[in-house]
Amino acid sequence: MRLELTSWPVLVASLAAVLAIPLITQDGYVIQLLNIAILNAIVVLGLNFVTGWAGQINFGQAAFYGLGAYTTAIASKAGLPWITTPFLSIIVVIAASLMLGLPTMRLRTYYLAMTTIGFGEIIRLIIVHWEPVTGGTSGLRAIPGINVFGIGPQGQAQHYYLLVAALAIAVTVAMRVRHSALGRAMIATRDSEIAAEQSGVDTTRTKLLAFMIGAVYAGLAGCLYASSIRFISPDSFSGTQAILLMTMLIVGGMGSVAGSISGAVALTILPEALRFLGQWYLVLYGLGVIAVIVLAPGGLASVASQVQWRRAGAR
Amino acid sequence: MTAETIITARGVTRRFGGLVALDGIDLDVPKGVVQAIIGPNGSGKTTLLNALSGASHADAGSIRIGGREIFRLKPHRIARLGLARTFQNIRIFDNLSVLENVKVAAACNRPTPFLDILTSNARQKQSEADIDRGAREALETIGLAQRADDRATQLPYAQRRLLEIARALASKPNVLLLDEPAAGMNMTESMTLLDTIAKLKSRGITVLLVEHNVRLVMGISDRVTVLDFGKKIAEGTPSDIQRNPLVIEAYLGRRHRHA
Repeated sequence: MRLELTSWPVLVASLAAVLAIPLITQDGYVIQLLNIAILNAIVVLGLNFVTGWAGQINFGQAAFYGLGAYTTAIASKAGLPWITTPFLSIIVVIAASLMLGLPTMRLRTYYLAMTTIGFGEIIRLIIVHWEPVTGGTSGLRAIPGINVFGIGPQGQAQHYYLLVAALAIAVTVAMRVRHSALGRAMIATRDSEIAAEQSGVDTTRTKLLAFMIGAVYAGLAGCLYASSIRFISPDSFSGTQAILLMTMLIVGGMGSVAGSISGAVALTILPEALRFLGQWYLVLYGLGVIAVIVLAPGGLASVASQVQWRRAGAR
Repeated sequence: MTAETIITARGVTRRFGGLVALDGIDLDVPKGVVQAIIGPNGSGKTTLLNALSGASHADAGSIRIGGREIFRLKPHRIARLGLARTFQNIRIFDNLSVLENVKVAAACNRPTPFLDILTSNARQKQSEADIDRGAREALETIGLAQRADDRATQLPYAQRRLLEIARALASKPNVLLLDEPAAGMNMTESMTLLDTIAKLKSRGITVLLVEHNVRLVMGISDRVTVLDFGKKIAEGTPSDIQRNPLVIEAYLGRRHRHA
């Protein structure tokens, strides 16, 4: 019998490995990097609903990430209790995703891509120019940390465990959606919009829901980013970041939960791991990305699937 | 007609620029029959099917399914009213398994509140179990049950056509539109297909069949409608149609007429 990625021994072993990391390395820099990798993984999991499953190109994901982060930073710096910030972030990104999604979900391919790029740029410009509130290009510092009725994580290792838990919830929700009528409707919409419609799927609603769920993932990751990294600036949520998030999804594997996570983690850690190369790191990084796309068009997840894995079950 | 009609179309017209693809088509389909729509290439068969299913709306006319006006309704609304279809150029969901392809349609009239999915509560589990059962029944009927867990793209060509029929069937339709279901099938596969269509008819499903292969449809159809250049030129039993001079001219003599 082949060993499946989703089988219990594999899951338990990888979970143990993930939980052991802060015990092995005491290096705050490494753990901080992993924390950012986990946050990116949550954002890419969100992007996977929209692009990986529903097949809609979305370069606005970094903007939703930023909206969540800035909402949280501004609210908690204004003295609101931390516990309100995830809810505020969700409200803001849902409002923004409806504003962007309602008029644009009829658009396809290039047109949708252009619109979402424009949306991301508008959000970035607002952040940069609304200086009294957002701190402009220098960003916001000393953002209050996570604090639920006096209890909150202390130090990077505790933040790490909290973020691993958040990622676990994000994965659970993604898997539940994937194996529901909604998840199948998303993939059906991507594969053939007209066949999905004729099978009774309201494709406009399905795309909009995918878009909103993706935005909520990004918004909540932004909330956790602001209150665990405690410093935010517009650079973290720029158009470049949006393209990077899309690259993570493609390298990891479109439509795959495991791929979304591995793509995000790999592309967050790789630039740091290659830092010793100085200015040459980008060359190697670029070649690496090209190699994955050329050699394994299905992404890192498809490489794993050649070893094991019933595709239909684990996607 | 003495029998109750399930599809009543009046004056259905569809233009593509200067070309009139459908020119005021009237169509009555009695409940529970197998009715074929035949005609030479470009006569408007698929355009008519698209107009009925909402895939590509007609410009004018009235289309009633079971007494309900569906003109210009979105395709998913028409599907939920009990009209399912297959496609001439196969459109299966490549990234889903065979079973999941069918499950998409089995969820047709079953709303899934997002909160149920999030909490994975008892109602959600029940709903998924019902969808699973409906989908497996449809695969069983079509004879694809043993391929349920394969990826849809692993199926050979003829079975992909069957998968489309299984998917259409899973939405529990009253009317099933089949667009050239035998295209690309060999003789044995076509014969199996005819048996399947007969089985669907015996379950009370009205089948509207667009087919290029006239000989194939004559045996199975109760009624035949003949289109030529977007107009209905004949309608009747297969034997009437085979003797109709207009039909023979459309198929054999059109080069003389329209050269």
